[in-house]
Amino acid sequence: MRKYVYYPGCTLYTKARNLDLCARRAAEKVGFELTEMPSWNCCGAIYNATSDDLAAQVGPVRNLAKASQLGEKLVTLCAACYNVLKRVQDRLDQPGNEVESERLKTFVDEKWGPADEPQGHTERSVKVLHYLEVLKNDVGWDRVKEKVTKPLAKLKVASYYGCLMVRPKEVLGFDDAENPQVMDDLMRVLGAEPTKFDFKAECCGGYLVVNRREVAKAASQKILDNARAWGAEAIVTTCPLCQYNLDKLRVLTDGSLPVFYFTQLLGVAVGLNQDELGLEHNAGDTAGFLRSKGLI
Amino acid sequence: MATSHSSAELLEQLQLLSGQNVSDCYQCGCCTSGCPIGEAMDPPPSKAIRLLQLGKGYELLNSEGIWMCASCLVCGTRCPRAVDYARIAEACRALVLRSKKSKVDPDTVANPELEEIPQQAFIAAFRKSSV
Repeated sequence: MRKYVYYPGCTLYTKARNLDLCARRAAEKVGFELTEMPSWNCCGAIYNATSDDLAAQVGPVRNLAKASQLGEKLVTLCAACYNVLKRVQDRLDQPGNEVESERLKTFVDEKWGPADEPQGHTERSVKVLHYLEVLKNDVGWDRVKEKVTKPLAKLKVASYYGCLMVRPKEVLGFDDAENPQVMDDLMRVLGAEPTKFDFKAECCGGYLVVNRREVAKAASQKILDNARAWGAEAIVTTCPLCQYNLDKLRVLTDGSLPVFYFTQLLGVAVGLNQDELGLEHNAGDTAGFLRSKGLI
Repeated sequence: MATSHSSAELLEQLQLLSGQNVSDCYQCGCCTSGCPIGEAMDPPPSKAIRLLQLGKGYELLNSEGIWMCASCLVCGTRCPRAVDYARIAEACRALVLRSKKSKVDPDTVANPELEEIPQQAFIAAFRKSSV
């Protein structure tokens, strides 16, 4: 079984347990294993883009160094962790950035490279991957399809990527910045029917929810309304903050548009037990919804 | 805020911190039309850049708009001149925060659902708007 170093990040142990648990179990079903890296620290939650602020990069740099001791690939699930770690890695590797890069590496005082290598090790940088990239590129859609025991019965799903998964495109290289497809492809493989959707990569308002709640609410409502207008019965996402803003912030006039993590629908399709799906952490009666579709 | 600097010095500082050149912008407005928060952002991205082009950097630094940008990067992704306004807003916020002025005081955030919000939102919000 393929093994990957896994970086859960802070939210996956608390508010987004429904993203983490079924992801680990589903990975085992489709043939890879996530081994959590020991003594990880916060990624910083948001990338600091100012040219001179090195302090803000220290946390992610330490994580990248630790991860490089354990393997060549670091897998994330939280869109924010993915975005920050990947951008900081890119910043370190950027030609012309050697002085800054060296200062940061010296400061965190960690070895860069295989843990079992003696002094004089070869320096290696870690490749930050998202779980979806592992499914698509390393496992492959065919293999995922083979493992589907409960096809999603043409469930009409709008895949919502938000901003952090797709921008900046030239650094992340994850998918198209305007019309990403990876999650849509996965939903198709699982037997669902991805719907068209105008605001796949539109911002939900993100952290503005903390002190400008009404702004995040308006941005999120626009996304929900659009998905509904395209005939979606459910939304899938991979960002805990998107999930919160779309799922919990709206005025729940009706429960007809549940917001799942993609890992929850993956879990349903590969036959995880209901208690591994963490449905109680979503708003509304998601279990009832899945039951009405004959999926659990 | 570093009010002792001339507006030319302020612009130079902002361009250095953001890595952007404001004279690259030809005011097509693509950034503002695509901004998901544009209606609530004052000034919106293109107008904010215009202020800098006109030497009114301090007006921008004192605006609400720079605190409304959630760094979603749609504006810079679509800009035909490759100007990344999210970085400019970041630089503006940095200059205000470096003068020891918080926009958001963590102790006074009044939100009925504080317990529910994922912690990544707090970390991000306070890193962007608090000293």
